[in-house]
Amino acid sequence: MSNKVAIIASNGGLFDAYKVFNIATAAAATEKEVAIFFTFEGLNLIHKQAMQQLPMPKAREHFAEGFAKANVPSIPQLVEMAQDLGVKFIGCQMTMDVMGLTKDDFINGIEVGGAVTFLEFAKDASPTLTF
Amino acid sequence: MIKSDVQLDAKGLACPMPIVKTKKAMNDLTEGQILEVQATDKGSTTDLKAWAKSVGHQYIGTREEDNVLLHYIRKSNDDNSYEKQFEQTITNEEVINRVANSGIILDVREEAEYAFGHIEGSKSIPMGELEDRLDELNHDEEIYVICRTGTRSDFAAQKLFKKGFTKVYNVLPGIGSWNGNLSKSMK
Repeated sequence: MSNKVAIIASNGGLFDAYKVFNIATAAAATEKEVAIFFTFEGLNLIHKQAMQQLPMPKAREHFAEGFAKANVPSIPQLVEMAQDLGVKFIGCQMTMDVMGLTKDDFINGIEVGGAVTFLEFAKDASPTLTF
Repeated sequence: MIKSDVQLDAKGLACPMPIVKTKKAMNDLTEGQILEVQATDKGSTTDLKAWAKSVGHQYIGTREEDNVLLHYIRKSNDDNSYEKQFEQTITNEEVINRVANSGIILDVREEAEYAFGHIEGSKSIPMGELEDRLDELNHDEEIYVICRTGTRSDFAAQKLFKKGFTKVYNVLPGIGSWNGNLSKSMK
């Protein structure tokens, strides 16, 4: 049985962030080796400023109350927890170049790599998830 | 009350926090100890069950008290390579007939495991307490020692034998493979 979980984060909304980081922390807590490849809008999820206030989908703003009521951790908290549990973050070099971003624009502890960096990790991962 | 070695307060936390906290808390337990996870997340029961299975710990059971879910997990490893040494053994099937005539079934699992499912009429003395509770056992009676997989009962049977209990048998393969009904004892 594979002990790796590979995740591609390619969208930058608040819901996307929860899907990515909830699965990632749950997998890491279950002693899986986890890597997330952040590409295109997915880079928002680890961008120092953007991650602090990720947008809700349009007309879904009322969920904010539900998030508070359910005592769901904030995205920065989940990110910290994921890193604490050893989840590997890989920023997509190509997208960063396109967007004019450098490693310093992102939280500490990320790796920057190309598609092959992720593929190398994902080749024997099960499952590989895309959000 | 069900006895546990460590209690974790995960009340009010949403998924995946109960799992993350459980994973961290588990690091501080030694093998064989029992963790009680207190949670209000309704999904935590199935999550913890799946988590324990995946990681290799033993999920014992869950009960609800004042709208709080209390989950019990015993820290274990997946090592089934232990070779049983005690020679007097008896099968799960045989023991029921034997004990109908004479003797007792002695369950040496932890109290929490016993509470969530045991053979009706069996006596509970957790392995760790056996040494101090020998006076509760009768030398002239057959003692059929049982646990989940036959490992703890193997140790217990050896110990009893050394202490002069000669009519001791290890029940194999144990409660983990029990086909009959099991009783619960919880308040």
